Amino acid sequence: MTDLKLIEESRSGNLSSFRKLIDQTSPFAYSVAFRLLGDDDQAKDVVQETMITIWLKLKKIRTAEVYKTWIYRIVVNKCYDQLRKMKRRPEYFTDDRTWSVIADNTADTASAELENSEIAGVINLLTEKLSPRQKMVFVLSEIEQLSADEVMAITGLARTVIKANLYYARKRISELLEKYL
Amino acid sequence: MMKTGYHKYEKVRDLLRRSVPGLDSQAQLEEKIITSIKEGNKRGNGYPDILGFLFGWVYIGWVRRSLVAVSAVLVIFFVYQQAVIMKELDYLSRKSIIIDGSTGTVNTGDIEKRLLMYKLSGKKPAEEDLNISRQQMDELIESVNELHDKYRDLINIINSDPELRKYIEQKLDKKEKSKFNL
Repeated sequence: MTDLKLIEESRSGNLSSFRKLIDQTSPFAYSVAFRLLGDDDQAKDVVQETMITIWLKLKKIRTAEVYKTWIYRIVVNKCYDQLRKMKRRPEYFTDDRTWSVIADNTADTASAELENSEIAGVINLLTEKLSPRQKMVFVLSEIEQLSADEVMAITGLARTVIKANLYYARKRISELLEKYL
Repeated sequence: MMKTGYHKYEKVRDLLRRSVPGLDSQAQLEEKIITSIKEGNKRGNGYPDILGFLFGWVYIGWVRRSLVAVSAVLVIFFVYQQAVIMKELDYLSRKSIIIDGSTGTVNTGDIEKRLLMYKLSGKKPAEEDLNISRQQMDELIESVNELHDKYRDLINIINSDPELRKYIEQKLDKKEKSKFNL
C-alpha cells in the first residue's frame, strides 16, 4: 500500500512527499471512515484529522506494514468517538427505498456495486440498532475482512469481546433482514 | 428461519464488501490537509499543544479526555494541599519555640497561646521571656477586675441565703475530708 521511502521523506518534513502519502492513504482512510460513519462530510473530516495526526506523529512509524494498522487505529478511534456522540434511533428505520436497493442487489444474478449514498443507506439501516462497539467490530471484521488479531490490534479489545460483539451484530442484522427482506 | 436470515446476511455482507466507498474531490481534501499543516507550522507548531504533547499518545478520545480531567483534578488538589501546607508552615514559623533548651522564645501571639506553649513544653517561663504588650496587660487587668466583681457578687448571694451557705460549707468540708483520705 505505502512505501517506506515516502514515509521516510515525509518524516523529515518533506511536504511534497507527504502530499503523495495523502494521495495513497486518504482513499483507504475515507473508505473505512465512510463505512463506519455512513456520512460523506463526517468521513472527510475524519480523514483530514487523521492525516494531520499522521503528519505530527510520523516519527513513530518504523515499517510500512505497521503504517496500515496505525492508520486503521487512528481512523477507527476517531470514528468510534463520533459514533458515541451520535444518538441511536429508538426504532428500526424502515426506509423502503434502501430495502429495495438491498433486495435488487442481493438477487442471485446481481453483482453490481453500490454507490456511496446507497452504501451509507444500507450500513446505517442495518446497524442503527447496534452499539458503536458492535458496529465497529462488524465493519472491521465483516466488511473490511480483517482477522481477529488485526481487529484486536486496531481496537485494543480482547478476542472474546470481539467475538461476542460480532456474534451479536450478525444476529441482529440477520433478524432484521429476515423481518424486512 | 434463522438460516434464511443468515443466508440473506451473507449476501448483503458480500454486497457491502465489493462496494468500496469512493472519495470524490480528493484534490480538494488534500489541499485542505496541506493548508492545515502549513497553518499549524506557521503558528510555531502550535497544533500539538501541551495537552496534545502529554496525552496525544492516547488515541481513544474519551480515555484521553478522562486522563486530562483526572490530571487537572490532581493538579488542583496538589496546589490546594501545597497552599494549606505553606499556610501551616507560615503559622508555625511565627510560633517558633525552643523546647529542649533552658530558654523558650515565642515571637508573637496572644498571652494565652504563649502560656499554652510553655505548658506543653513543661518549662517554666523565664521572667524576661514574658513580654506582653500594654493592650494585653489592660485586658488582663480588666478580666481580673471582672473576676473579682463576680466573686464578690457570689459571696453576697451565699451570705444572704443561710441554707445555701450551710450547704456549701458542708460540701467544702467533704472535699477537705476526701483530700485527707486520699
